Amino acid sequence: MPQIRNLNLLINPAEPRIMHVDLNSCFAMVEQQARPLLRGRPVGITNRNTEYTCVVAASYEAKRLGVKVGMNFHDARLLAPEILLVESDPPKYHHVYKILVEIMRSYSPHVTMKSIDEGIINFNGTEPVNRRPLAEIGREIKRRLHEQAGDWMTCNIGIAPNRFLAKTAAGLNKPDGLDIIDHTNLRQTLSKLGLTDLTGIAERNQARLNAVGVYTPLQFLDAPADLLKRHVFKSICGQDWYQRLRGWEVDDIEHDTKTIGRQFVMDEMRPNDETVRARLAYLCETTAVKLRYKRLAARGIFVYARYASGDYWYERHMFKSDFFTNAELLRRATLLFNRRPADGWVRELGVSCYGLSPSVQNQVSLLEEINRETWLTEAVDTVNAQFGEFTITFATSLPAKGIVKQKIPFGSTRYFELLCNQA
Amino acid sequence: MDNVTKIEKDVNIVAYYFHNRGPRLRCFPKAMEWNGKRISFTETGLVHPTKKGQRAIHVFDMTDGNADYRLEFDAQTLGWTLVSVADIGLSQNAPNKKFEFAH
Repeated sequence: MPQIRNLNLLINPAEPRIMHVDLNSCFAMVEQQARPLLRGRPVGITNRNTEYTCVVAASYEAKRLGVKVGMNFHDARLLAPEILLVESDPPKYHHVYKILVEIMRSYSPHVTMKSIDEGIINFNGTEPVNRRPLAEIGREIKRRLHEQAGDWMTCNIGIAPNRFLAKTAAGLNKPDGLDIIDHTNLRQTLSKLGLTDLTGIAERNQARLNAVGVYTPLQFLDAPADLLKRHVFKSICGQDWYQRLRGWEVDDIEHDTKTIGRQFVMDEMRPNDETVRARLAYLCETTAVKLRYKRLAARGIFVYARYASGDYWYERHMFKSDFFTNAELLRRATLLFNRRPADGWVRELGVSCYGLSPSVQNQVSLLEEINRETWLTEAVDTVNAQFGEFTITFATSLPAKGIVKQKIPFGSTRYFELLCNQA
Repeated sequence: MDNVTKIEKDVNIVAYYFHNRGPRLRCFPKAMEWNGKRISFTETGLVHPTKKGQRAIHVFDMTDGNADYRLEFDAQTLGWTLVSVADIGLSQNAPNKKFEFAH
């Protein structure tokens, strides 16, 4: 890796060996693949089949009419009266995800899935096996996706010397594009983009760049490292951007799991205390299941509630002993939850665990009570694995069963298998 | 909202077809008998596996050109279930516009 002292770092002249594969409007496209009558029509995917929901994915037909991800149901209907809203179905997306991963892993062992619908293939070191040009491999990936997932499925492919430029290349010609960025066409490609077209540059970063006279990606590319580090980003991020834009790899890092949690926007406008506690119990159960799935134990709990008035309350506590069972998590979360101000209707609820460490579930404790609880949890997990998730559950959380549904989060595939079993 | 009607009824699949999708030859339903009617599928959307506990379920999304049908095949009991029918209102030009669902 070049040293930052070299302020005149050149554009990486290496052959592009990083491929970014991105499914086009993934959830909407999978639904259109599954249901041929939806094809060619504006489709929005929602997480709940209610009028107070938002669009979590939109088909290209809907996007052309102005529908954006995150838009609420009523706005989407105003822009596209013909839009069909379909409730998300995680097992379908999981199936397509598995096909995509299988195809990608057949070319290189260095495959990183960045989210449910996008991943990176690092071809460095696979030259003896993959002798063909990467553009040809890219076209083959598209063909295999067609064959194995369905003929409606398309993907964008970007090829570049680093992950950032590969992702940028994948976004150049949507849908179904295949583009290459290397040292020969980097300036030409950046000259056609705006600052916010770059992944990681939104309004705030744009304002920071504008403040020092940087208005285009080309000016950003030409900006000295020192300016970016000291005056724009005021951190090591400036140095990273300097290298990233020149095609040097700075994003090949894995982050450890720091927190595990769940949140839920209440399904009732005026939930009573019993209803809120049922949802809390359910969130605690699913969080504890996630903890055990990752073979972790936690010491800290963070509980928050957002009220109809817009007020936000949270309480966090780091306990002396760690925990991973459903009952213990609920007990500790309830301790914190009981301290909340009892005014107003709860609109949103969340539980999160931190202070994570590898679980000692297999270690027999000296305390008989702890052993009993651990063994009970193991027995419940075994029954649930055999007969379906939440076959045995807290009586308190029964009213929430079927209401708090597992949905696929964006940005992470860490619990994908688990989520699909619960979906 | 999408007009999905839950059915959850056992049905008979009376015709199958085979298609070379991916590396293997696969089997798909071609026609089903339900509620005294024979419905012939014109296209297969997506076939994906799911689980109910440890039971493997294969979900078939099919269409007859007027509505989308979600069928489940239970690999343990070898039975077919019609889970739901989605009518997106395209059937104005189609001969059988209205569905009458038996519950």
